[in-house]
Amino acid sequence: MRVAYWPGCVSRGFTPELHGSMEAVAPLLGLELVPLDRAACCGAGVIAEHNQELADTLNARTFALAQQVDGAELMMNICSTCQGAQSECQERLDANSAYRARVNATLDDAEPGLRYEKGLTNKNLLWLLVEELGLDALRAKVRRPLTNLRVGPFYGCYIVRPRARLGIDAEHPRDRYLHQVIETLGGTVIDYAGTYKCCGFPIVTMNKTASLRQAGTHLGDATDAEADCLVVPCPLCHLNLDLQQPQAAKVVGRPLAMPVLHLPQLLGLALGLEPKQLGMSKHVVKPTAVIDWSAAVVAAPAPA
Amino acid sequence: MPAHDVLIIGAGLAGQRAALAAAQAGASVAIVSKVHPVRSHSVAAAGGINAALNPGDSWESHAFDTVKGSDYLGDQDAIEIMCRAAPDEILWLEHAGVTFHRDEAGRLGTRAFGGASAARTYYVADITGQAILHVLYEQLMKHHERVDRFEEWFTTELVQDDGGRCCGAIARDVRSGHLDAFRAKAVVLASGGAGQVFRPTTNALICTGDGMAQAYRIGAPLMDMEMIQYHPTTLAENGFLITEGARGEGAQLFNARGERFMERYAPNKLELASRDVVCRAEQTEIDEGRGFPDGTIALDITKVPRKRTLEALREIVNIGRDFAGVDITREPIHIKPGMHYIMGGVRAGTDGRTPVPGLYAVGEVACVSVHGGNRLGANSLLDTLIFGRRAGEHAAHHAVGLPMPRIEAARLRDAQAEIDALVARVPAPGSRRISHLKRELGETMNRYVAVYRDAAGLATAHEVVRRLKEEAPRAAIDDRGAVFNQDVLAAFELGYMLDVAEAIVLAAQERRESRGAQFRVDYPRRDDAGWLHHITVSRNGQEVPRTGTEPVAITRWQPQERTY
Amino acid sequence: MADYTLRVRRFDPEQTSGPYWQEFAVELEPHRSVLDAILTAKEELDGSLGIRCSCRAAICGSCGVRVNGRPALACNTHLRDATDAGPAADGSTATVTVEPMGNMPVLKDLIVDMDAVHWKKIHRVTPWLLNRRPVPEREYVVPHEDMVDVTQTMACIQCGACVSDCLSMEVDPEFVGPAAAAKAYRFVGDPRDAEQRQRLRDLAEDPHGIYDCTHCFMCIDACPKGVAPMSQIMRLRRISGSDHQIVDRNNGERHEEAFTTLVRDYGLLHEAELLPRSYGGNSWFGKFHPAAGLELVDSLPSIARAVARRKVKPTQALRGHRLARRDLDAVHAIFERVEGDARRHELNLYLSGVEEEAPAP
Ligand SMILES: Cc1cc2nc3c(=O)[nH]c(=O)nc-3n(C[C@H](O)[C@H](O)[C@H](O)COP(=O)(O)OP(=O)(O)OC[C@H]3O[C@@H](n4cnc5c(N)ncnc54)[C@H](O)[C@@H]3O)c2cc1C
Ligand code: SF4
Ligand code: SF4
Ligand code: FES
Repeated sequence: MRVAYWPGCVSRGFTPELHGSMEAVAPLLGLELVPLDRAACCGAGVIAEHNQELADTLNARTFALAQQVDGAELMMNICSTCQGAQSECQERLDANSAYRARVNATLDDAEPGLRYEKGLTNKNLLWLLVEELGLDALRAKVRRPLTNLRVGPFYGCYIVRPRARLGIDAEHPRDRYLHQVIETLGGTVIDYAGTYKCCGFPIVTMNKTASLRQAGTHLGDATDAEADCLVVPCPLCHLNLDLQQPQAAKVVGRPLAMPVLHLPQLLGLALGLEPKQLGMSKHVVKPTAVIDWSAAVVAAPAPA
Repeated sequence: MPAHDVLIIGAGLAGQRAALAAAQAGASVAIVSKVHPVRSHSVAAAGGINAALNPGDSWESHAFDTVKGSDYLGDQDAIEIMCRAAPDEILWLEHAGVTFHRDEAGRLGTRAFGGASAARTYYVADITGQAILHVLYEQLMKHHERVDRFEEWFTTELVQDDGGRCCGAIARDVRSGHLDAFRAKAVVLASGGAGQVFRPTTNALICTGDGMAQAYRIGAPLMDMEMIQYHPTTLAENGFLITEGARGEGAQLFNARGERFMERYAPNKLELASRDVVCRAEQTEIDEGRGFPDGTIALDITKVPRKRTLEALREIVNIGRDFAGVDITREPIHIKPGMHYIMGGVRAGTDGRTPVPGLYAVGEVACVSVHGGNRLGANSLLDTLIFGRRAGEHAAHHAVGLPMPRIEAARLRDAQAEIDALVARVPAPGSRRISHLKRELGETMNRYVAVYRDAAGLATAHEVVRRLKEEAPRAAIDDRGAVFNQDVLAAFELGYMLDVAEAIVLAAQERRESRGAQFRVDYPRRDDAGWLHHITVSRNGQEVPRTGTEPVAITRWQPQERTY
Repeated sequence: MADYTLRVRRFDPEQTSGPYWQEFAVELEPHRSVLDAILTAKEELDGSLGIRCSCRAAICGSCGVRVNGRPALACNTHLRDATDAGPAADGSTATVTVEPMGNMPVLKDLIVDMDAVHWKKIHRVTPWLLNRRPVPEREYVVPHEDMVDVTQTMACIQCGACVSDCLSMEVDPEFVGPAAAAKAYRFVGDPRDAEQRQRLRDLAEDPHGIYDCTHCFMCIDACPKGVAPMSQIMRLRRISGSDHQIVDRNNGERHEEAFTTLVRDYGLLHEAELLPRSYGGNSWFGKFHPAAGLELVDSLPSIARAVARRKVKPTQALRGHRLARRDLDAVHAIFERVEGDARRHELNLYLSGVEEEAPAP
């Protein structure tokens, strides 16, 4: 499957292991990634906070670029925040033709011929796994089931709320997909309080204590629930949960050593890649230091 | 024992407006409400509030429409006062912050409402009551230094001094169960309506006629109690209201044969005839087999442009979706007449004064009477505000110079003992639950004291009410606690509702003619010679209530035949 | 008719036993509400079950609870939806779990202390109109759209559902919170109010004000009246920073400015610059500002760790990735055209609605 691939900024900035691991697992999933390397930042909600039309126009440009990718069935992102921020812009763009025309006029002005047509499909990797690839197909690709690995799903905010905008309903229980994927990969889902909560990243510069308290609390809850690791579909969550983990530990006053995996890393492990190939040594809380991937939790690769 | 110049019981529109006016006039004020003020039932008023404010309109026209709507039972002196004061009240509200709808030029805009000869209903989408109530509450918060709020305090009875003057009330702090006596030089009753006497009803669960019964028990006469307004468009299952604003915006009524039947009943005003007229038309269609199998009529809001519906009738879109599973912008919704408003109440003058000295009544608990036999849509909010303000001012001025009354501690002890006994009540074997008694009452009233009435049905209703009155003191209580003991409150409320029901039935039996909301199948004509007067019901200390009459004030509009 | 198990978290303050769960079996049609189920249990089984309710029609704001772990009004949540949706339900049983709202102390059963939290916060935003002078003799003449716009926040019924699950409030109880912020917008957006600037300054400078919202969308999903408190907070920030140039001491405005400028200059986010600029000011020199210095020292461990783990190359951390020239030109053109407009153009879906032919989201 060929997709217009939007990696986002952070996956190529502070969490390069995310982009790297995505590129590593894509072939195993049968995904052909056509990177949208001409597109600009989604704005992460912050540009919209500054000027809504600006965010809408920048994302309309990204959407238009995605629509130009030959043979791509849809646009895929690997960042919840991109998903949420882009869905919000798309909601406005798709809702009103006059507004769309206005934004398209700006696009055309900036880059003659560029134009967004209403109705783009933009899915996070997580949605794509369940809805396009299918869990059965995914299961069939598992080479090293994550037996005995206790995984805490951490969705973050942008990919589960608001439900209506993100198309979450009984038919598309997108707020259960992370659970489903973990199970499909053979892991055990851990029930803990933080699953749908906020990592705290958006206020890290405004109210650092509150921000880190959020991260620390969730990490602590997951620890209490005896999780081996968390998995996140969002690199910004990763920053607060992993990069800032030592500081979060200070704020909540308890030692923390909870590995936090990006979704493609978890996939990669189950599909037979090595931790190192997936950039897991780049984490602050090195999953390799906390979990013995070779024997304890992950079965040996099944013969091909 | 808290002591204030003015004690206001009830924090709906009438009570809050009275509190602000009394405080403005310099009085110390306490306002007591059994629920948080913004939960008061005024919050549900959807459609709007009437005032002749447009240059082309006149207060006389508004007053005449009101008189005609009342089927000439409204007191014209009071109606004149209300309609004259209406424009200033709207402006006062606007300045206080109500986000009234504007026209394209940015000026106040109106919508059409039933029974009115001009579009003079001012509104905030279809949350007018909420918008006004919340803005008044903003003002109460602003004036917190002058108005003490007692939120979630339930008054159980009014207190009189030896001379019969009302000097306060006993109230229970719902949060703690603590009982206290509130002393005041003047008491303004603003405790709202009694819709729960009927089932179903558009009214909230808290509309249990507490104030009517409490005033009635200390001798204040209730007036026009037979005048129960059914609203033409309520959901069949739960009685929820579809605001008249929908018809004001252009929605139409159809029977099951697809006929716009109002053409036959009110060829000029059609769906916007007055409520009693539309209800009888619907009920006739249903009774004669032209309704839908579920006993309903179709209200077609798709006639209103969708964008307009989303802007001006959003709440109805929500209600349709959430409570009937219907997208009203795309398909008709099934409705029928449902109990909505009680025109009657504690008899009060144009300053809110009741025949009991020291006691005022305003809003739906009162009967001034500006609504007479039938209230026009969007006139009730106006009534609460105008007479709320007037009563608040009058009470404040009156309180100046009066000594603070005393309430004997024994009085409080007796009240406490009564509640203690209630909480400790061991249910007798076979005694029914309060909810069951309440249901039987509501269903009985809705069956026999509804759009069409007759002597036999009213007699049956009377019998049921009397039987329930006997049974009520034995009803089972589960909650033995002090904090939020809602069981105890429900027991009190049941008692109030039964008193109110009795007065309603008595008055309906008494009026042997058809006028306004009272349609007697056995006396189908209006009879001005015999019945152009109010009927009162009072108890005067006795167990057996007595009916009486009061003249109707007629200033300039002589009764005419009423056609729409 | 269907059978439901109503699982209620109860609490009796007059007993020492603490909260406990109790189950009630009720039979009701699936389209009836959770409140109907609670009231059925109360009326038929246990009159001591405490719940505030009045209108039954989602307008009085009394019956905020958590249904299956999510904040909602009991009266407009259908049993049908309560049993098959949401993270807590697996659809296999017809159990509906009801708890009191969060972030507020429980008084009894499903009744919480709104005064102690919700109303206290409402009081913080000077919740009444401060009239623009002179007060006109007749009505204020104001744009139609503005009145419809503030009516969105006027539609708040003060139910507290948003407060219940606000994730910032969970970690910072002093956060002004979604409902009070929406109430603030009701005045900031009202052209009749005279003190918009002061209101905004208060909200921006308050360390627990509008910049303390963690953008978690909880309040948007919680709100039964479409008030979308978070969207109102974002508008407050926008008006505060862009229209009134209020530079708050919480770095809120600076963060927003820095972010936007970095995207303008690089096309992509430049994290290493974002932090110091958010603290110190929106230029490359920002990091030399004393506040930025302090913060840098504070976050140095994180950055050092990132470099040590070879997450980030020191050169990259300093220069940041950026788009190719022609793409940057396009981005600049967009910035110029949109930001060059004298008046910000905003599509407010609350006002405009979604066009007919649009597919359901
Ligand atoms: C669904 C609906 C829609 C309506 N729409 C409109 C409309 O569009 N236009 C219009 O003009 N009218 C409308 N009405 C009618 C109008 O809303 C009411 O008549 C009016 O709001 C009554 O106001 P009130 O202040 O008298 O009483 P309420 O608002 O009912 O307030 C009563 C107060 O008394 C308190 N109270 C009661 N008993 C006690 C006690 N024992 N102890 C302490 N406090 C107590 C309550 O807590 C409450 O605060 C509508 C009514 C309904 C039901
Ligand atoms: S978006 Fe902000 S205000 Fe809303 S719930 Fe989350 S933190 Fe609270
Ligand atoms: S904003 Fe919405 S959820 Fe919050 S209190 Fe108001 S109505 Fe309730
Ligand atoms: S009972 Fe009024 S909001 Fe639910």
